[in-house]
Amino acid sequence: MIDNTVVELSRWQFAATALYHFLFVPLTLGLSFLLAAMETVYVTTGRDIYRRMAQFWGKLFLINFALGVATGLTMEFQFGTNWSFYSSFVGDTFGAPLAIEGLMAFFMESTFVGLMVFGWERMSKAQHLIVTYLVALGSNLSAVWILVANGFMQDPQGARFNPLTMRMELTNFSDLIFNADAQSKFVHTSIAGYVTAAMFVGGISAFYMLKNRHMEIARRSFRMAALFGVLATAGVITLGDALGFIGGQAQPTKLAAMEALWKTEPAPVAFNVVAAPSQSERANLWQIQVPAGLSLLVTHSLDGTVPGADDLEKQAAERIRNGIPAVVALKRLAQDPSDAQAMAQFTAHEKDLGYGFLVQRYAPDQDASKSTPDAILQAARGTIPQVAPIFWSFRIMVGLGLLMLGYFILAVIYTLRNQVEHQRGFLRLALWSIPVPFIACEMGWLVAEIGRQPWTVYQVLPTWMSASTHSVAYMVFSLTGFVVLYSIFIAIEMYLMVRAVRAGPDADGPDAAGPQGEVAAVRAAPAPAGRLASRWEG
Amino acid sequence: METYLLLKVAWWVLLGVLLMGLAVMVGMDMGVGTMLRYVGRTDTERRVALNIVGPHWDGNQVWFILGGGAIFAAWPLIYATAFSGFYVVMLLLLWTMIVRPLGFEYRSKLASAQWRGAWDWAFFVSGFVPMLVFGAAVGNILQGVPFHFDWNLTSRYTGSFVALLNPFAILCGLLSVAMSIYMGATMVMNRGEGVIRERARRLALWSGIGALLLFTVGGFWVSRMQGYHLVRGPDPATAQTPLRQIVERSTGDWLVNFRGHAILWLVPASAYAGLLPGLVAARRGASHLAWWLGALAWIGIIGTVGTAMFPFMMPSSSEPSHSLTVWNSSSSEYTLAWMTGFTAVFMPLILWYTSWAFWVMRGKVSAQRIESDEHAY
Amino acid sequence: MGTFARFVVYMFIAICVIVMAIILGAYGSWYFAWLIGTVMMVLIAAAGAAMLDTQEEERRRSGGS
Repeated sequence: MIDNTVVELSRWQFAATALYHFLFVPLTLGLSFLLAAMETVYVTTGRDIYRRMAQFWGKLFLINFALGVATGLTMEFQFGTNWSFYSSFVGDTFGAPLAIEGLMAFFMESTFVGLMVFGWERMSKAQHLIVTYLVALGSNLSAVWILVANGFMQDPQGARFNPLTMRMELTNFSDLIFNADAQSKFVHTSIAGYVTAAMFVGGISAFYMLKNRHMEIARRSFRMAALFGVLATAGVITLGDALGFIGGQAQPTKLAAMEALWKTEPAPVAFNVVAAPSQSERANLWQIQVPAGLSLLVTHSLDGTVPGADDLEKQAAERIRNGIPAVVALKRLAQDPSDAQAMAQFTAHEKDLGYGFLVQRYAPDQDASKSTPDAILQAARGTIPQVAPIFWSFRIMVGLGLLMLGYFILAVIYTLRNQVEHQRGFLRLALWSIPVPFIACEMGWLVAEIGRQPWTVYQVLPTWMSASTHSVAYMVFSLTGFVVLYSIFIAIEMYLMVRAVRAGPDADGPDAAGPQGEVAAVRAAPAPAGRLASRWEG
Repeated sequence: METYLLLKVAWWVLLGVLLMGLAVMVGMDMGVGTMLRYVGRTDTERRVALNIVGPHWDGNQVWFILGGGAIFAAWPLIYATAFSGFYVVMLLLLWTMIVRPLGFEYRSKLASAQWRGAWDWAFFVSGFVPMLVFGAAVGNILQGVPFHFDWNLTSRYTGSFVALLNPFAILCGLLSVAMSIYMGATMVMNRGEGVIRERARRLALWSGIGALLLFTVGGFWVSRMQGYHLVRGPDPATAQTPLRQIVERSTGDWLVNFRGHAILWLVPASAYAGLLPGLVAARRGASHLAWWLGALAWIGIIGTVGTAMFPFMMPSSSEPSHSLTVWNSSSSEYTLAWMTGFTAVFMPLILWYTSWAFWVMRGKVSAQRIESDEHAY
Repeated sequence: MGTFARFVVYMFIAICVIVMAIILGAYGSWYFAWLIGTVMMVLIAAAGAAMLDTQEEERRRSGGS
């Protein structure tokens, strides 16, 4: 018997630790490339100020990176510790990208990050630049494989259930990695990281300009962040649309929830700008609509239509009824794998096995074969995820994305005129906007993951079945531990980050002389690193 | 279908290699963490010790992550059963481990003595506890773990948390702690100077002797404990679940493989072949040699456990016939084949750039250099 | 041009680019697009910084002499 409380607590724990981990990941993804860009300028122009820029932002990068690595360990553990049925059920398919991530990406990123920090004086400029690019590439390749794994959860491609081993088995590797959901989600996520880094660097540079400190570094950093950010934001919005388009076809229930679409309507379908969705009424209490908006956004045409929750529930009920015999046959196959009749019944109903699993939660004794019409109805209703949180997370994410586009366009205008330091109001806005991309990233995670419910693997494995068979006491213990530990971590991280920002680029450098010192440093011809580098080469 | 059999065995070997990589590389860093407060009495001395492994701890830690990932991908049922069964212990391992990256990055950011002192204790905990848990987990697996499966392979652990801390498991845990201190100490000898090097030498000797004794006692213990043997099961070359086999347990079963193939005695012998000359080398100050001999000893120790248990990977003490073996808990042939391809390409690359990173950062770490280098930990 | 006018023009260009990318994206391979896009972003950001150096140089020359 599966204990609902344990499943709920496991979900809370996973969501909390994943959202926490995802506070640090986007900045790593983006800032690594910005560091590489800064160092590129240093290597090509030879101006020392860009080395100091790369080193200063590198220092902040590392404070963030440490916590990203630390909390990433939790994620790796947690599939096994808390989602053991999930792990054995899809490990054959889902585990492979995670292992390849380690082999191909994480090893590279982690080995070279050590050289990036400690190797300034032990490598030639070009070697160090390559190392920095490898760190950036490694962290983003990590994201590729993680999102290939996630893409499988969203739209399971390239695998098939094997009744003899009771699990999903990989059948086509290229279908797994070129899954449209994985592709678009990776680009969307990676570039969202670029936006995050650009807002972060822009905001802190604005802080220095407001205080009239480190002007040379601040203006250059702001310029780079603004250009990087405006392109990245455009990319994020493009990919967000692609993801919506792809996801809408693969996961109609998520789309219905994102748009609070309770009833199927004839084309062209109106777009709900804001609404008050009510899960129990299966309707919006009120809404403000743009006529034909949804057809245009989601199907890119006026005569496209989108199925509403009512139709999706009907389809789900049908599939549940079809899936129950699959579960019954599977149980017989577990007793006797040579049972030909059971195998035939299983094959006939195989495609709805996941729906057969789904109804167990509501069936008497959690036994699918005893399902009542009421249990089927409840399970069918359960296939529509919680609409209000998805609807609102999605709108907050999109709204913040559009605001950031406007912000970056203004930033580009000001910085290209080279007068951004006089726009005090704008600089203040830039400083206070640092949290915005972080919030948008978290909202994106919520849309993707709450939107997939009630499944861990869409239409294949219900969340309710996936959790480990722990006691409530164990879950309370681990949740408490995570909350305590993670609260201490974030307090320390924020303190060190703010402290490093306040101290600024010259905190422990040799020439903490303010603006004049910086100009002098720009002019100082052979950089110390360059001198050492030539010694190594010669 | 013979390829499938070969792939299963190959991934059993690869898992062993990853565990050895983990033990050698992560173990070394954790050993430095465990002995930090002893090997360094002043703040500068401790910083020297930290910076000896500083440029490499992150790369080394990936051996751990890769080990986890490889178990997940190649042995999903073991990943699921072991990680959820050992829940509380796994959390202790995780919680202590995640403090370590923060320790490296954050410790020397503030000058306060209390701040740094607190992180030094954190280094001790995050070095000692994970290595203890790592060894204790292996110790429990050797004895068998109380778990069984439902019809759909939902794993259920029926033991308690306290039962995991039994005397044999603690012995194995201490062995792994001793080995990690030995490896850390020889590394500190390599790149440290003066008083630090001298203290590290003393630690290497004591921990090496400790490891030698614990390994010997453990060996005798294993020879007298109840092992497991496969009475009947499906053809090893076919896809299967752990529900269709018969396993029995009896005393001395873990020696059956050695008795059958005398050449296998070379595996435990290599642990001695590593540690005994390693002690001599450490005593004479030949720290590079001592380090490599220590790595050989780790290979011998982990290899001994694998050889003794083969084909078992995680026996069940409460339902022996549900035991997980090389034959019944691997991924599908297709997945293993793809994973093998990726490993064949990337593992040599990893070894190449890891060696390059160590080469770039070679040389002694001195107190002056740390105080003048703004990037140092 | 005033800031507002520029803002409107640039916003318009940005939206055009996004719409075009969306239309192209229906056919495209995103992994490849990511690679090209990232290289472009890094280079443009770097070029922007180099341009700032030139602007500074000019400002110093015209203001200083």
